[in-house]
Amino acid sequence: MLYSSELIKGTLKTIVLKQLENNKRMYGYEITQRVKELSLDRIQITEGALYPTLHALEAEGLVTTETEYIGKRVRKYYSLSPNGKTKIDEKISELSDFMNTMKFLLDINPQTV
Amino acid sequence: MYCISEKQIDFILNDISARGIEMVSLQQDLLDHVCCIIEQNLKEDGDFESFYFSCIKQFYKQDLKEIEEETINLLIHKNYYVMKKIMLVSGGLCSLLLSVGIVFKFMHWPGASALIVLGILMMSLIFLPLLFVLKVKEKKESKEKIIIGLGTLAAVSLSLGVLFKIMHWPFANMLSLMALFVMIFLFLPIYYFSGIRNPETKVNTIVSSILIIVGCALILTLVRSPQGTRKVYVQTTNTYFRNEQILQKEHDLTVKSTSEIEKSGLDIYNSCEKLKELLLQKETGVTKITSDFDSKNTLISESSISDYLAMEDTSDLKQQIENYNLKLEANKQKIATDNSFFTSENMKIDAVLNNLIQIQMIVLQNQRS
Repeated sequence: MLYSSELIKGTLKTIVLKQLENNKRMYGYEITQRVKELSLDRIQITEGALYPTLHALEAEGLVTTETEYIGKRVRKYYSLSPNGKTKIDEKISELSDFMNTMKFLLDINPQTV
Repeated sequence: MYCISEKQIDFILNDISARGIEMVSLQQDLLDHVCCIIEQNLKEDGDFESFYFSCIKQFYKQDLKEIEEETINLLIHKNYYVMKKIMLVSGGLCSLLLSVGIVFKFMHWPGASALIVLGILMMSLIFLPLLFVLKVKEKKESKEKIIIGLGTLAAVSLSLGVLFKIMHWPFANMLSLMALFVMIFLFLPIYYFSGIRNPETKVNTIVSSILIIVGCALILTLVRSPQGTRKVYVQTTNTYFRNEQILQKEHDLTVKSTSEIEKSGLDIYNSCEKLKELLLQKETGVTKITSDFDSKNTLISESSISDYLAMEDTSDLKQQIENYNLKLEANKQKIATDNSFFTSENMKIDAVLNNLIQIQMIVLQNQRS
């Protein structure tokens, strides 16, 4: 089963930041492959969502880029900036908080009073 | 694994930019991404072109350009919040500066004008332009954008006009008049007639228009008309001219009744005469006001002495007067130097001229008594 892009949209920044934290530096294609692999093919990040997000993260100063030449083409490696390293825990705890709220809100895991 | 040639890389890059991706860094990202997919998935003897086209199709819904649009959207969105924050902070800060500045001004505490200038500058150069940029982004129709633009232009020039006026900088009147002109003849009609057509905004538009007209009218009632100004100048000049005539008579009488004015008094008298000539020359272009000043238009206006003279220029005269006062016999009148142009550099020029005449009169009276 593939999750809809609407569901992924709000969590994409956190997913990308977490991958960069685990793997130091990655290029775009690598990120999509890694996420696909880890999620057992259930999350496929589209190019149309990934690159705008990476550029926004760069503009916010959470990730930095370095370029390397692969033959004639340029490969851009993305890595966490010091600022991004401090931000990631905040992002993850926000998301897990959100998931708990969703569980409660949608009655997925009924809580006993 | 398929091996991509340099020619094919150029082909992909050209195709990506032809599809409307203009940001270089985004081009690089997409190029590398497509190449990775091709290298991973195309067999060595596969058909490059058809594989590429089917592959790039998965990048978008309608066309490739939407990736760039989305990127720009996210980048602007980020700036939007920063700008909004700066706008709110600068707006709050300038209200604070202005209100504190006005309290300082009323209490005659130092630093009042610096606070007020800073407040007005912050409002007209940071707050209002940012407000304009943010509001323009929200509106779709170009007519609404023009309305906001004109409103901002009028508000900025009005506040700068007031600032120039209180600081006695040049072009203050021109700025304010331009602001009122833009406000009443450009902004208001467009705003009013586009606003009342929409039932939702009708009442709001009428009320705001009334407020703007009343506000402009209140400002204009505080402004003296050009004819009114000239009338005041003629009266000022006339007063000076009569004082000058009286002084002349007194001088003639004094010279007739006593032989010579004694040296230190004469020095003061002549210094005053020179200062008056200098000020008149700079103010009206002639060194002496004659009875036909009205027709010749040699009028004394409301310039301040600091426009023409520095404090040092009057220090010689002040020294002469202090020496004179010291040597004065007990029954004679001292010449006061406090509360005059010796102590205040913002004094109006007609007050200074009459001040000088008073000094000369005292010298003459002391001579005769």
